[in-house]
Amino acid sequence: MNVIETNKLTKSCGTARGIIDVDLVVEEGELYGFIGPNGAGKSTTIRTLLSLIYPTSGSAKIFGKDVVEFGAEIKEDIGYLPSEVFYYDNMKVKDLLNYSASFYKKDCTKRMRELVEIMDLDTHKRIDDLSYGNKKKVGIVQGLLHEPKLIILDEPTGGLDPLMQQKFFNLLKEENSKGVTILLSSHILGEVQRLCDRVAIIKEGRIVNVEKMSDLAKSNYSRFKLESRTPIEKSLFALDGVSGLKMENNSVTFMFKGDINSIIKIVASIDLLTLWVEEPDLEDIFLHYYE
Amino acid sequence: MNIVLRELKAHRKSLIAWSVGMVFLILAGMTKYSGFANSGQSANDLFKGLPGLAAAFGIESVDLTQAIGFYSVLFLYILVMTAIHGSLLGAEIISKEEQEKTAEFLFSKPVTRTQVVTSKLFAALVNLLALNLVTLVASVIMVGAYNTGESVTPVILLLMVGLFFVQLIFLSIGIAAAGISKKPKLAAPVATGLLLAAFFLSLWLDITKKYPGLKYLTPFKYFEGRVIINHNSLDPLYVAISLGIVAVMLLAAYLRYNSRDLSV
Amino acid sequence: MMNMLIHELRQNQKATIIWTLSLVAGAALYLSIFPAFVTEADTLRKMLEGFPPTFRKAFGVTLESFATVAGFYSMILSYIMLAGSIQAMNLGTSIVSKEERGKTAEFLLTKPVRRSQILTAKLLAAFISLLVTNVVYLVAVPLIINAMAGAIIDIKTFLLLSFTLFFVQLFFLGLGFLVSAWASRIRSVLAVSLTTVFGFYIAGALDSIIGNTAIRYLTPFKYFDFAYIVKNSSYELQFVLIEVIVVILTIITSYYVYVKRDIRST
Repeated sequence: MNVIETNKLTKSCGTARGIIDVDLVVEEGELYGFIGPNGAGKSTTIRTLLSLIYPTSGSAKIFGKDVVEFGAEIKEDIGYLPSEVFYYDNMKVKDLLNYSASFYKKDCTKRMRELVEIMDLDTHKRIDDLSYGNKKKVGIVQGLLHEPKLIILDEPTGGLDPLMQQKFFNLLKEENSKGVTILLSSHILGEVQRLCDRVAIIKEGRIVNVEKMSDLAKSNYSRFKLESRTPIEKSLFALDGVSGLKMENNSVTFMFKGDINSIIKIVASIDLLTLWVEEPDLEDIFLHYYE
Repeated sequence: MNIVLRELKAHRKSLIAWSVGMVFLILAGMTKYSGFANSGQSANDLFKGLPGLAAAFGIESVDLTQAIGFYSVLFLYILVMTAIHGSLLGAEIISKEEQEKTAEFLFSKPVTRTQVVTSKLFAALVNLLALNLVTLVASVIMVGAYNTGESVTPVILLLMVGLFFVQLIFLSIGIAAAGISKKPKLAAPVATGLLLAAFFLSLWLDITKKYPGLKYLTPFKYFEGRVIINHNSLDPLYVAISLGIVAVMLLAAYLRYNSRDLSV
Repeated sequence: MMNMLIHELRQNQKATIIWTLSLVAGAALYLSIFPAFVTEADTLRKMLEGFPPTFRKAFGVTLESFATVAGFYSMILSYIMLAGSIQAMNLGTSIVSKEERGKTAEFLLTKPVRRSQILTAKLLAAFISLLVTNVVYLVAVPLIINAMAGAIIDIKTFLLLSFTLFFVQLFFLGLGFLVSAWASRIRSVLAVSLTTVFGFYIAGALDSIIGNTAIRYLTPFKYFDFAYIVKNSSYELQFVLIEVIVVILTIITSYYVYVKRDIRST
């Protein structure tokens, strides 16, 4: 079953960039990454999915239901964590959590307590007095306390220390293992790489590619890095399939796609000091799409 | 200087809106007078010898059939509107940095808090002056259009000076509220709350002669249109009180804003 | 629904208490000068008798009721109404817009509730806040009149007069609610509410000086002619109708607009 399915989803936001013909399919149980630089349209897509804003054209379905028509019903099973969290003044953490819980039909107290424990949150403090990172934790707990079937996260990790980030990711993975679908939007490649099964890359409002994480990494690109004892001629690498060539003193880095034998022959002719051949990381791929 | 320019730009739209509103108020008010002037000629004679009753309605001994007399009634509302403008401007210009979380940006720059407040005060003064000038021009034109006696421009000028003092008082109250309070959200409600209290007190003083001393508490009694028109001068005592209030408010704002924690 | 209603009521609590106390205290302050006022009544009455009716009308007070407690209360009620209108307009203007200004809209609107439910909860909360203010006012002020003004007001007249406070508040609540639902960003609620309320008030005040009646259809401050109410113990039907229509229209439009529009991002 597709948990999220958009069909030519388009949103024009006046002069600001919107999104154009976004087709996104997220299957049940997936950990889906949504990646692109700032302003590419990630938040616009998510805000449209949550019917905070309405599509100019096209449509989006969550759990097979149209997001505009069944917005309220769908949200019963969605947990959302925005990039920046702001909450009502003069409320204690527990007041806000209880308020959040009061919107759902089920009893959330048990899960709330667990999450508070995991996130190490002091519920008697006033939200105004919390640090940025602690407010974020409140956001996490309030977004997950109703055990949603779909978790949507928009740049979620800012403000969390590495330890807390790890806890949070473990929490997400645990949820995922229970069958929860997760959509994680980010411009930080590492966190998407650590967490996601599939990734959609968005650029200037359009989805430019959707790939499995494993495929992405396994794409027949290889990353070469080598150092030699003697200076190297640049012309040596004038070969089809070589890109992103960088030379500095006696060290060379480049990406290669094509017949591996042809490049190995060239490399073999060099008096090598060291040689690395690696799978490209997401960063390389990402740059590739944004060239 | 960069802060002044920034603030001027930030308040440009609001200033234009206030100016348009002010022109509309004066235009609509004086247009109503034109209808009134034609119908109520005899009524005014009856106002004489009626201090008790007329005072009850705040129209003591002013010839309402004259354009300037009618304008004096309108002037109370001009005072109220500019007071609202001044107090909101003062409260907002200081508190917005804390409210919109730009305080961290601004105060990580090499500027002192005193410099910031002074720049903002200066920008606010330019706004007050601009609104005052718009009011002046609109008043001179509109009252002049219906005026039949001697020129009213000098007395309108005098009224505008009084208006400016009231603007200054409420601006400084707004700045003080924002400068003093650690909760930036409270600045505007506190400043306008004081304004409303002063306004309702002045209405109360209009219907009772029992406690004349209380008039010092409300700036709306300092520069009343009819008094200025009749005496053709501003009461120096009230000018002094106005300046005193402004000085105390600004001093309090500077001292406290310099020494308190910013709410960020 | 209920959870949002309670949440809103709690959020409004402080402001409602402050406004309620201020209105009652203001009424007490004004009523305290009634005895002084009444001592002059006879002389004033004699003076007034010499004037043509058009002139008396300019004061908005009829000869018969002028120095009575009902007449005096009518006079000060217009001031109380001004203050109460500011309360209502503030409430209406802020109650929806505060979510976007305070950046809590993303919290509320990602919960499983329809926007129309949110509006209903908010509207109901605002209505209850005003209701509380008015109930306290209606109970307290007759006692104050009795104690401070040393007079007893005919309770039916008092109620008829004082209900108009609630009606006019509803007008401004509706108007504020509409502004709030429409505008995705209101920088200053107070700027909007104070200028709007004073604008309507000034329009009414200037026109009562010159005795124009056309403005009565435009400003809620003139929908209810107190002298008429005192004299006839009833309202003028056409203005009650206008009021009801305006309130219903603003509320329907608010729903229509808010359900369809985009929510401003943080």
